[in-house]
Amino acid sequence: MPGKSILSVGLCASVFVLVAAVGHQPAAQEDNSRIFVNVVLVQLNVAVTDKKGNYVRGLKPSDFLVTEDSIPEAISSFEEGGEVAASMSAPGSTPPPGVASAPPAEGAAPPAPAPDTAAASVDSGIPHFEGASVFILFDTSDYMYRQFVFAQDAIAGFVRSMQGADKIAFYSYSRDLSRATALTSDRSLVLGGVRSTVAGDEAALYNCLLLTVRDAAQLHGRKAIVVFSNGPDNASSVPPEDVEELAQSTGTIIYIVSTRLAEQEPVSTAVFERMSRATGGKAYFARNWEDERLAFASIRDDLSHLYTLSYYPKPNPNRGWRRITVRLAGKDLEKYRVRTRDGYRLLQQSTLMSESASAR
Amino acid sequence: MKCPLLSVAFLAAGLSFGSGSPAFAAAHSAAPATPAAAAAAAAAAAGGGSPAETVSIPGPLRSFLRMAAVSQEVPPDNVLPLLSRTVSLYGYQLGGETEFLHLLTRYVQFARELQTFADSQGAIHVEGCADAARLVQVLGYRFQRTCGQKDAWLITDNPDRAFLTIDSGFPLTALEEAMQNHAPFAYSFPATQVPVLFNEKAWTGLDPRDRQAGPNLIDELLHDQNLDRLYWAFSKDDGETRDTLLRAPGLRALLPIAPALDFYSSQITIHDGRILLPGGPDSDHDWQDLVGVTPNSGGEFTRRLLIKDRGWLAAYFDALSRVSSAQQVHLLHGPRLRRLYDVYRTAGAGNSATRGVFPRNADLLMLMSGLSWQPNGDMYIPGSLPAWREILTLPSSPKMVQQWVRTARTWDSSEQLLISLIACSAFDTDIGPSQIYLTLNAIDAARGSQPHLSDATVRLLAERYADFHSWYLIFSEFPQLDDGSITQFVKSAETVGSIGNSALRANAMGAFQANVGLWEILARQHQIPPEKMAASWMAVVQPFASAESSTQLFEAARGSLNALLTAAGGTSSMSQDQVINLLAGPSQTTDVGRRVRDNLSQRMHSVLDDQRLVSLDTLFGLYDGLDGMAHGTATADQLLPLAGNLRDFEMPRAIFTNSEKIAWAPGIYTSRHTELQVRTNLTKVLQSNPSAAQLEAARAELTPFLRDTLVGLNYAYYEPPGAQVLHHNPLFVRSHDFSGSSIVGYNQLWDPPTLIGIGVTAGGGAYLVGSLADLPYALASTEEDFIAPQHVQALIWRAVVPGILVGAVQPRWWSVTQQEMHATALYQRAGEELITAAAGNADLRAHVLEILTTAMAPQRLETVRAALLHANQLSDALGTITPAEKFILAAQFRIRYPAQAAASGPASTELDALVRLDPADASVERISQDFGSPHPTLEQTNACSILDMKPLPAFAGAPNRLIGESWESTNLYWARIADEMGYSPTMLNILVPELSRQMVARIFATDLEDWPALLRAMRQTGDAFRQGQIKIAAADALREPEHSAGSGQ
Repeated sequence: MPGKSILSVGLCASVFVLVAAVGHQPAAQEDNSRIFVNVVLVQLNVAVTDKKGNYVRGLKPSDFLVTEDSIPEAISSFEEGGEVAASMSAPGSTPPPGVASAPPAEGAAPPAPAPDTAAASVDSGIPHFEGASVFILFDTSDYMYRQFVFAQDAIAGFVRSMQGADKIAFYSYSRDLSRATALTSDRSLVLGGVRSTVAGDEAALYNCLLLTVRDAAQLHGRKAIVVFSNGPDNASSVPPEDVEELAQSTGTIIYIVSTRLAEQEPVSTAVFERMSRATGGKAYFARNWEDERLAFASIRDDLSHLYTLSYYPKPNPNRGWRRITVRLAGKDLEKYRVRTRDGYRLLQQSTLMSESASAR
Repeated sequence: MKCPLLSVAFLAAGLSFGSGSPAFAAAHSAAPATPAAAAAAAAAAAGGGSPAETVSIPGPLRSFLRMAAVSQEVPPDNVLPLLSRTVSLYGYQLGGETEFLHLLTRYVQFARELQTFADSQGAIHVEGCADAARLVQVLGYRFQRTCGQKDAWLITDNPDRAFLTIDSGFPLTALEEAMQNHAPFAYSFPATQVPVLFNEKAWTGLDPRDRQAGPNLIDELLHDQNLDRLYWAFSKDDGETRDTLLRAPGLRALLPIAPALDFYSSQITIHDGRILLPGGPDSDHDWQDLVGVTPNSGGEFTRRLLIKDRGWLAAYFDALSRVSSAQQVHLLHGPRLRRLYDVYRTAGAGNSATRGVFPRNADLLMLMSGLSWQPNGDMYIPGSLPAWREILTLPSSPKMVQQWVRTARTWDSSEQLLISLIACSAFDTDIGPSQIYLTLNAIDAARGSQPHLSDATVRLLAERYADFHSWYLIFSEFPQLDDGSITQFVKSAETVGSIGNSALRANAMGAFQANVGLWEILARQHQIPPEKMAASWMAVVQPFASAESSTQLFEAARGSLNALLTAAGGTSSMSQDQVINLLAGPSQTTDVGRRVRDNLSQRMHSVLDDQRLVSLDTLFGLYDGLDGMAHGTATADQLLPLAGNLRDFEMPRAIFTNSEKIAWAPGIYTSRHTELQVRTNLTKVLQSNPSAAQLEAARAELTPFLRDTLVGLNYAYYEPPGAQVLHHNPLFVRSHDFSGSSIVGYNQLWDPPTLIGIGVTAGGGAYLVGSLADLPYALASTEEDFIAPQHVQALIWRAVVPGILVGAVQPRWWSVTQQEMHATALYQRAGEELITAAAGNADLRAHVLEILTTAMAPQRLETVRAALLHANQLSDALGTITPAEKFILAAQFRIRYPAQAAASGPASTELDALVRLDPADASVERISQDFGSPHPTLEQTNACSILDMKPLPAFAGAPNRLIGESWESTNLYWARIADEMGYSPTMLNILVPELSRQMVARIFATDLEDWPALLRAMRQTGDAFRQGQIKIAAADALREPEHSAGSGQ
């Protein structure tokens, strides 16, 4: 199982879209036949690696060129993994007229001194990981029965290793979702949630992943879902396509750790690889407990090396899928690999309203 | 892979992690006798104060319940019954034991082994690493690093043992942390005493052939399915009946007929040695004749009843016992008891009535409950006897009955029909003559004094029953629809169903059913006046009878919709926003009413938008514009923006290639209808200087879009609380397969829709196949699993939850007055007052119990009776009585004892005054209609009502919804809470769906008939709402600033 080097393919980008229903915000894009939506802020999580897969650190905002449907966008805020967000004041980085500002990131501080391009450095490999919200989704269905206790061990190890992370939630699923531990920084509570799970019943991975993405969508900042699943789904009514789109549109990274059993089912393999890649995450197919441990270490590493940048979209009449590209500026940086999700879709506020928001 | 637990279970929650902390464990180890004391008290209560007999369960009760898939909220005296029930239902498959049972058996051994670590107080103590090693080994774990180090974690060493450790909720993390911190660990792990019926010895060694019998009853229950069923059956009997049966014929004699006892003994009551019979003592002779033993020998009578005719006599007895006493009088009149039984037994002779997992007398019960009678005692016949002779020879009729009718020399009395219908009820079908009778009878019953179904209409309905029966419920819900309305419906439905082109047929069926669905919504909300119902119905369904092309269909659907809107107080040129507002509810005169209506309207908008459906405004504008272009009154430039709207819809971004979909989802993947829409490009047509023919073709292309929008309006209106598919699968409405093209050989096109494609990962998402009949239930079934249970081990209860969700969205409360809502609360409180007062008043107690007899099974009634005699049990008894039972009690008491109606307490007094002041708003009928539940299976109508009947058991097959229809308390209870918290009645439209969702999340049930779990979840939800722990944002925002204080405090 790969260690850090496997993350050479790991350039991640995600988008966080805040939208507001008309009546609450002025509408920048409206017609007579739709509920009006209004993009407030798009947030991207981006990983940059060299040819060997090492993370490239020390990049500054001006090193990134972001376009949406070929429209150049101005970066509004910028953060390197482990740092606090820096607000940008470049022209165009403020909300356009008629577009509401997103609330500032919690703990926002003046821009940190950014290294110049030449100073961009390849990561030393020491993970530092702050400010993210991580949702762990554990498959407790029949399919996980034989691996149940080993998987628990691996997840428990992952939770212990996330000492620097902001908050962790632990969910499990079979036919239904169980929110065993809500987002918390108390690792002991999370471990208790992990060890409280009960095995049994059908597997509705995509239904439950959808609910988890919705929970994550309520949050600002970096957020990721780490799925531990043995693969098959025999009870979902939503297809993975819809889950993937929602994750993309809400800027939620999905990592999936599975076992070799999943590889025996090509449909699960395909979904795991494609969905995780599309959302900026990665899929791992572990042969044994040690592989699982390494997979979780890799995820932890990946999360700690993301650049987070945001922008207010310029006027864009497109009400469907909006294509995003992120490139690095300048010849010196062209050698690095940028991987980003390629877009998002506008969502209604009501679509994302969580159960906990409507009734707590 | 084998199922380790229960695929169909509604399971118990896990041990809270906190309970394993050293402090918690120490606290518990300090009081080890507490669980046993609770068990003893429960046993004493169950036995009416007799000394407790208990059996020992190894380890903590919660761990055992967790492994046994029993809700941890059950009282101790329910543990063994529910263990028996769960093991008998889920412990065996194909003649062998399931993985669930293997695990449970292994856990019992595991727990016994762990108990050897406990001290005399039942606590496991670990002082440090030195004495942790052996415990950790038994638990199936080991330390990854040396115990005592900060990073010494426990990891799996023996997966089988580790699984039991985790699955049973052992506090592993607490042990781990204690060792890391060099702290002592203590965990209370006592053997738990739980009450047993009679005593343990009575149940052990019953089967001398059984050599696997373990050391105690628990071991026997874990490997003897018959013993499980026997124990479960006895737990449903009242105490005196149990004692009688124990004496004679005795448990050993009853063990071989445990399946019959399990299915059909819950209504058996033996008092003073004599069995209580349906029909009372007057029927003694007839029953003795049937059973062969005098009813005075209650025990032997029961044994003979259960073994006779492979259980059919028991099934017959059970069904008769469950119907009302008024029905019993008719069914036992003259020689009917034997005559009807003889034909029932003969019809069922090919099978055993005790085969399978569920009772087989559901159809008989429904028929017996639904029969109507003439004043002279003859059975009422919808239509005429000759018409029924024809019906009984239809292909859907059982062959035995067809033969019988054809060869009968005479066919001149309703008694012959009654006999035939009883015979038909023994056959497995949901479209046979007994079902036809119930449906047609319900229509006539709803019509009351209006003209009943004509012979011709009866024939028509029966002939087309197999196709359209699901739609006939409209005619029993809206009796204003006359025979002409029915005939026109069948004619239009036949027309659209016979269209040759499959795409056009699907569009026609979808649009037709959608408009009929919209008519139902507006009629149910009283927006179509009764006097306009028949005419508006004709205007809605008639246009479809002549649609033969796409453009004709478009115009038919549009004309039908316009006529409907006009009848409902709108105009024929309403915008989509106006249409949605109209559907959201009738015009409101108060601020809060308007805001509630706007809120519901926004929710419908949200669904339509997430489904990315094209608005009616765009479709009608384009259609007219294209026609205008053909006639030179419109230009392409004017239409281009509208044509662009059609292109807004995009398919979700693909994960799979087409070849992958075909390979991985064969037979499921189909989205031709949707793909055609994606390919539709009217912009291109408009820009190509189109000919008249091209413009006509372009108009035809709008028809599929119109179908989807009309269907989408129905979906949006019935959005269940907590829905996700409606918001995240934009193809869900479009994928509705009206023509069955996605399933080879599917021909139930007018039946309620079936959800297809669940768990087919590459299938593009689940979708509905079939009609829009019963759409609310189908949507609730689709969305129910998106409600996350609050308890770790709980699952959504599929047999009941859809009914609860339908009850939350199908009825609306626009016309409910504050007085009516207050009266609804008062009835429930008056019921409580009656029960409380009955504890100290023997006469009143007799009246109360007499009324409750019709609503409660004998065992529950006995519990209430015992509680009324013991003041200290009164509070507990009140807690077990449902809001529906309280309502029925108060309502019936007022009818039967009007002179005492106001005497039981302040609520009774206030209710009496309110009834006098405002008899319409406070009437039982009105409250029943507004706050009852729909009973489409039991009553053959979607009209709401509260039925005075005992809860029904789970049945297999089509009647499986009966169990859900037995639960009628939710909306009554929400109305009471809303009243007490000072909400206006219109707010119920916001509150009820959300409170129902919250309740569903709290249900922590064990088996298929765990009514107390529903009651607990409902009360917990109500309490949480009262205490502000549940915030319903929409309700808070919409509430009037100065709400009344709630006069019902």
